[in-house]
Amino acid sequence: MHEPHSEQRPYLGYGLGLRPNHYLDILAQRPAVDWFEALTENYLVPGGKPLYFLERVREHYPVVLHGVSLSIGASEPLNLDYLHKVKSLANRIDAAWISDHLCWTGAHGINLHDLMPLPYTEEAIQHVAMRVMQAQDILGRQLLLENVSSYVTYRASQLSEWEFLSAVAEAADCLILLDINNIHVSAFNHGFDPQEYLNGIDPSRVRQFHLAGHQNHGDYIIDTHDEPVIDAVWELYAAALRRCGPVSTMIERDDNIPPLSDLVAELDQARRIGTRILAREDAA
Amino acid sequence: MTPDGLRDLQACFQAHVLHGDDGMLAQVDAGARPSASARLAIYANAYRLRLLEALTTDFPALHTLVGDDVFDQIGRAYIDAYPSTHYSIRYFARNLSTFLAETAPFNATSVLAEMAALEWALTLAFDAADDPVLNEAVLAALPAEAWSGMRLRLHASVQRHDFGWNVAELWSAIDQQQPPEPPAAYPEQRAWLIWRRALQTYFRPVDATEAWALDYLHTGADFAALCDGLCAHVEPSQVGLLAASYLKGWIQAGLIAEIFC
Ligand SMILES: [Fe+2]
Repeated sequence: MHEPHSEQRPYLGYGLGLRPNHYLDILAQRPAVDWFEALTENYLVPGGKPLYFLERVREHYPVVLHGVSLSIGASEPLNLDYLHKVKSLANRIDAAWISDHLCWTGAHGINLHDLMPLPYTEEAIQHVAMRVMQAQDILGRQLLLENVSSYVTYRASQLSEWEFLSAVAEAADCLILLDINNIHVSAFNHGFDPQEYLNGIDPSRVRQFHLAGHQNHGDYIIDTHDEPVIDAVWELYAAALRRCGPVSTMIERDDNIPPLSDLVAELDQARRIGTRILAREDAA
Repeated sequence: MTPDGLRDLQACFQAHVLHGDDGMLAQVDAGARPSASARLAIYANAYRLRLLEALTTDFPALHTLVGDDVFDQIGRAYIDAYPSTHYSIRYFARNLSTFLAETAPFNATSVLAEMAALEWALTLAFDAADDPVLNEAVLAALPAEAWSGMRLRLHASVQRHDFGWNVAELWSAIDQQQPPEPPAAYPEQRAWLIWRRALQTYFRPVDATEAWALDYLHTGADFAALCDGLCAHVEPSQVGLLAASYLKGWIQAGLIAEIFC
């Protein structure tokens, strides 16, 4: 199904999110983490500590940029000033790639600072794909779009989420950042089969995986990134590796952030699963 | 759904998040548990909690000063009055001091607005541009006749504020986890200077004359004009010495980025 050593797909290995309370430990300990994902907006500042530490970390690790403000699905024009700033930040640190989310974040000039879901319609596919192409033109490279966790289903939607994501990626010729936890969360919240989701994604478009924890409230799950990855998500990760082959993987932790060593240990679990699954795939 | 349909759907959802408009209920599936309104509430709650968290991060001393309940009240009122219009949540709180100065009951005195102004200035200094810091040797190497025409450019992090309350002292006590004194008004407004040197932010009081001089420099005045202006503040015979000692202090503190002649 996949090409395990495809030269088409850059592969960074196992990474973590770069968080300010870990800066000093990362530089002092140089943990066995293959790469870091930096939150783009945290570094779109004039100077000072954020950029200083980003550059120090970049001296020792590959870094990718992960944004939350592109609002690729909004109705208002793309923010070109933002895109140019992202581009120059990416150049400054030689980012391995740039990602953001398949969502919208506001209307009428207001930013909700949330990842709002899109209706899964043909028109939305065309609308988003045009904007992705425009963004890719400005950035001068392919963009990775991530599936978000969602809590509502629009009556207007005509497609499944995976059909929508796949169609946007195909129409815009962009890449996918597949968040395994978000698939689990949305599958639970909307009652679909996560494996069916995976089966609907073209492995050749998947450049990165996200793993994260969440809060289960009984009849719904909220994507909080404040707990360790749960077993069901590890299992889904194994299934995603079986389908896609080696894909750069990282753990997102945004709240209730533990010491760096705890996250490195959690990342080792991803590494073990990856080594096991990919060895088996290679043998097959 | 047409592009207009997408636009309307987003406007409708946003109106729900911002104001609780219930038009959105008709746009989402109502079949499964939890209910449509409970599902929409997840977004409305997360919106406020995320912005409240940003305020909590940026204004620790204001938070301590007013306590959890009032801070939450301030935060929710601010979120409604000044929704974010910047792509980065980093700048969401930029109007908090203004909001506190214009909104009852928080403006009963100016202490809350001033604390917010101080803490916001510290965040701006924290990630201000990485300007160079002028070395004293550059000044020493300058021929005496060049002094009068030279212009000084302040470091990008340098900010000046006048406070009527002891917010800077309160901030320091809170920062050091000492029980803060009750807020007290100064007999008259006091000038403060906030800046960053290397990666460390600082603030210190400055007397009225030095504050005037820094503000005047900020307008692009050259050194001769600065000395002329100082004549209104001190005896003309002392101006040269005073200006030179200010300059030395500013350079040593890292306040001067560049000299142009
Ligand atoms: Fe994610």
